[in-house]
Amino acid sequence: MKFVDEYRDPAAARVLVARIRELAGEDSFKFMEVCGGHTHTIYRHGIEHVLPQNVELVHGPGCPVCVIPMGRVDDAIAVAETPGVIFTSFGDMMRVPGGHGNLLEAKARGADVRFVYSPLDALRIAVEHPDREVVFFAVGFETTAPSTAVTLLRARDADVRNFSVFCNHVTIVPPLKAILESPDLRLDGFLGPGHVSTVVGNHPYRFVPAQYGKPLVTAGFEPLDILQAIVMLLTQIREGRCQVENQYTRIVRDEGNPRALKMLAEVFELRPHFEWRGLGFISQSALKLRPELAPWDAELRFAVPGVRVADPKACQCGEVLKGVIKPWECKVFGTACTPETPIGTCMVSSEGACAAYYNFGRLHREAAVTLGRASA
Amino acid sequence: MAEPGATQTLGSLASDLASTSLAMARRFAAGATLWCWSPEHPEHAQHVAVEFVHPVIVGKRALPAVAIATPGDGGADQLRPLVASGDVVLVGGGGAAAAGVSDVLRRAPAWGATTVWMGAGGRPPAGAADHVLWLADETELAVHDGRLVLLYHLLWELTHVCFEHPGLLGADGACEEATTCITCSDEGRLAEVLAPASDGATVRTAAGIEDIDTTMVGDVHRGDLLLVHAGTAITLVEGGP
Repeated sequence: MKFVDEYRDPAAARVLVARIRELAGEDSFKFMEVCGGHTHTIYRHGIEHVLPQNVELVHGPGCPVCVIPMGRVDDAIAVAETPGVIFTSFGDMMRVPGGHGNLLEAKARGADVRFVYSPLDALRIAVEHPDREVVFFAVGFETTAPSTAVTLLRARDADVRNFSVFCNHVTIVPPLKAILESPDLRLDGFLGPGHVSTVVGNHPYRFVPAQYGKPLVTAGFEPLDILQAIVMLLTQIREGRCQVENQYTRIVRDEGNPRALKMLAEVFELRPHFEWRGLGFISQSALKLRPELAPWDAELRFAVPGVRVADPKACQCGEVLKGVIKPWECKVFGTACTPETPIGTCMVSSEGACAAYYNFGRLHREAAVTLGRASA
Repeated sequence: MAEPGATQTLGSLASDLASTSLAMARRFAAGATLWCWSPEHPEHAQHVAVEFVHPVIVGKRALPAVAIATPGDGGADQLRPLVASGDVVLVGGGGAAAAGVSDVLRRAPAWGATTVWMGAGGRPPAGAADHVLWLADETELAVHDGRLVLLYHLLWELTHVCFEHPGLLGADGACEEATTCITCSDEGRLAEVLAPASDGATVRTAAGIEDIDTTMVGDVHRGDLLLVHAGTAITLVEGGP
């Protein structure tokens, strides 16, 4: 991942870690990051290993690929295998397993599945192939949804009728609420997402301190950003404050991006409910196209099976996404489930908590016991 | 022989020197050119470049390095067409030219360049460059008394030491970047506007030149810095990092 700049000064990191140690004292704290980019940074740079043992990071449902239920992947495959369809997707979704394989396997069977970098690339393909139906598999939080919105408005304005979107965009606030209401989880605060907040701003998170009494700090993606955000969370707690703060001030503004928000409102509306892998159905947690854009809605244009598929019994992605267990505590982690042969979605994307542990953490059960992070 | 105090100061920079020289060796091994610019002290930029391009140790390879001479506010305009993705930009000092130096450093990631900032005096803030080699000296005497020269001689020599361990040179994090997901990582890539268009802009990023949509950020101008996600600008980066 390449971000605005580098914040990796070892001397500054040591100062921040010392401050974290000082603020935490003898008490234990558990903070959740809800952005896949943060999870990736934490493991890539070994942040969890420099934190004191009584300050724990829990990895929430911040990877939009990881939370797509298997049934939606099967729906995507069904559309992709429809004769005459060019099915386009970010590379992120290609290996995500559904109940009937993944998109790469569908491509191997003969479906015309293509990687794109942007939904605008998919629209371009539609313009170049007026005799084919081109479908874009839209996934992602509020960072990605605006580019889908821009594309749909362009398709409407240019009256490109052979283009449609299979919309699976999700929103960040409802799963936060679901986690906060989960009875089996104790959290002391949140690291708020970085670039999602570029779009939505910091205001939508106010309910976290107001209703649930937990502080939230929006954080950037460099190691020093993460460490500074933890310092800010601990400082709030020690000073008896509980509010939304912004560590990523060089990018995130409190009001977000008003143009993007307006565009999202013009194109999308909330679904009454949407299934999140591991979290179940969450009310008003996903987006669908407004009725005015029905001609570009793939769910209306194609026969989508819409069958709910239960997760494999051995897979504990749900508990991982809620932070109830660590990835290595899953029964199939690193054995039956690896990045090469993922069973759960958390092992597919490099930002998924399991893949991040597998690729960078290298922390298995025995090591965790040695480090005192788990019971023998 | 260096003064005891000078040795002590450089000793405290061992970790910074090690990581900077390894990063530079990896970039050189991948074909980078080193661009040196020191607006207040161009002699240092020339000296650094000549050390890399003309190694005095027998058997060491010459590494491509160029010094540019331009005033403090012209660095970005001169470096922009010269620097290719994967290159290294090394800037010296700051002082009265600090604004111009900062401007180059905040744009360089959009050009795909690794940045090194070398100097003395008050240390730049975290994140100002990929690598900072800074001598703690309130008087900035270190720029003139040989300590800065010693610092970049060590940088040059340690870079060559890294070349003696070829196994280290291939492990560039850039390979790993390619596996990152767009949506899951909440990607935001820095882009510099080259040419605005009616509904978008041609921009330069570390990955090359591309056309993006700018609907969400409104009017943009040549030289603006943007954050790009999935082919769309999501915010204007004001004032830099």
